[in-house]
Amino acid sequence: MTMDCNIVEEEQLVDHSWRPLGLEPTIQNVVALLNLDCKLDLKAIALRARNAEYNSKHFAACIMRIREPKTTALIFASGKMVCTGAKSEGDSKVAARKFTRILQKMGFPVHFKDFKIQNIVGSCDVKFPIKLERLCHFHDGFSRYEPELFPGLIYRMAQPKLVILIFASGKIVISGAKRREETYAAFDNIYPVLAEYRRGKKVTSLNPIQFKSESNEVPPQGYVSSPH
Amino acid sequence: MTEMHCPECKTQTEVVFDHSAGDTVCSECGLVLEAHSIDETSEWRTFANESGDTDPVRVGAAYNPLLSDGGLSTVISKPNGAQGDFLSSSLGRWQNRGSNPDRSLIQAFGTIAAMAERLGLVPTIKDLANEIYKKVEDLKSVKGRNQDAIYAACLYIACRQEQMPRTVKEICSVTNGASKKEIGRAKEHIVKLLEVETGKSMEMGTIHAGGFMRRFCSTLNMTNQEKKAASEAVVKSEELDIRRSPISIAAAVIYMISQLSTDANKIQLKDISNATGVAEGTIRNAYKDLYPHASKIIPDWFAKEDDLKNLSNP
Repeated sequence: MTMDCNIVEEEQLVDHSWRPLGLEPTIQNVVALLNLDCKLDLKAIALRARNAEYNSKHFAACIMRIREPKTTALIFASGKMVCTGAKSEGDSKVAARKFTRILQKMGFPVHFKDFKIQNIVGSCDVKFPIKLERLCHFHDGFSRYEPELFPGLIYRMAQPKLVILIFASGKIVISGAKRREETYAAFDNIYPVLAEYRRGKKVTSLNPIQFKSESNEVPPQGYVSSPH
Repeated sequence: MTEMHCPECKTQTEVVFDHSAGDTVCSECGLVLEAHSIDETSEWRTFANESGDTDPVRVGAAYNPLLSDGGLSTVISKPNGAQGDFLSSSLGRWQNRGSNPDRSLIQAFGTIAAMAERLGLVPTIKDLANEIYKKVEDLKSVKGRNQDAIYAACLYIACRQEQMPRTVKEICSVTNGASKKEIGRAKEHIVKLLEVETGKSMEMGTIHAGGFMRRFCSTLNMTNQEKKAASEAVVKSEELDIRRSPISIAAAVIYMISQLSTDANKIQLKDISNATGVAEGTIRNAYKDLYPHASKIIPDWFAKEDDLKNLSNP
């Protein structure tokens, strides 16, 4: 983990005492924004480059793809560019540089300005099934769970501010972080919550609902049929 | 024949009631004792097959607090026969031309009422849906979206809040031109809006299969025993790790229960599919997931162990 000068803030976000060993989110996608600082002729780019497509009626940007790192760039006429599909921050920057090189070779006076990572998407598997309904019930302010519309629970974490998709299988997707550390911090924050609502867990005194039997979790009739 | 005291005859005399004049007349001397009696029987009779424009009702709609003027104002209607008389036909046009702040509300209430009627919902839910729509309309952020989706979403939210949930597919079936996706998006948008506005969360709670069981079972004409067994089975199934939508699980449980009943009234997969809105293939797959746990969820009083062996293995 790269340590910045913001180390003090990182410590506040990450609860190190709970870090589960060997389990950390894998980064799946990094989205970055870039300013090329020069007006571009998208029609010309689409005609000259082999790997570019431009359909002005469909979308106002030229879509260019490169094979290594496997990424896609949306290039706008104003000179702004969005680079998506990279698996790490470093790869994203390398890919962005490659795109600017391609445009430079075409003859446009581009500059590599204001490279900023806007979104990092990570996924992880906690390897146990989760009771989404209970989680939604007890974290009502943060969760949205509509099984009819989407099978995952949408958890909007406040600190760090990002969105976590939690599925009943135990797989989670963490999206919206601007830095890798935020993704890890979010995972550290959500792991104890997920563990608490694990399916098949024996009832402990931590659970606020009192059950009659100790061995199997049987939600009382009242809870199931009358949501609060 | 009634008897009243006649002041002329000074005794109790038989009295005749003349309906045509409304007079109470003494039969001995002919003195009119009471005149202008008010007939309190009904003025007219209304039949179901009569057309709407000859309706003699003089009373309008009830006071509606959601509309800006209560909905009590009078509207000049088009004159009968549409004469060329300038004044009477123009007055109506001029009144309607003036901006009516409630026009969109009235249209919305009408559409919501029609949808609620088609679903057979109680007026409580319809009124709640109207209130939700009014709150949303005041915030003015839903002008762009598909209005039918907004009306449908208000109705959906109202049903959920009154603990009588309707599946999105059911609501979709009574709208004209709103897809499940649009209604879902509209519903999320409205819920977020209202939570930010009012500061407190909408008490909706997640949907459970149990909430829909009674309705689905009634539609399929299941016996009370089967209904009870199905409700219990669904409650028990919630502990199992079955990763399917609650509606699909409900449909699969109904299928299982109906398979266990006597041969005469086995419900077909097609009928369950129509009643619940779940596709036949999905019911079969959910049944496949549910089958291994059959003994755990089906109550003992309904079917013994060996009956469960009769269940068709998917």
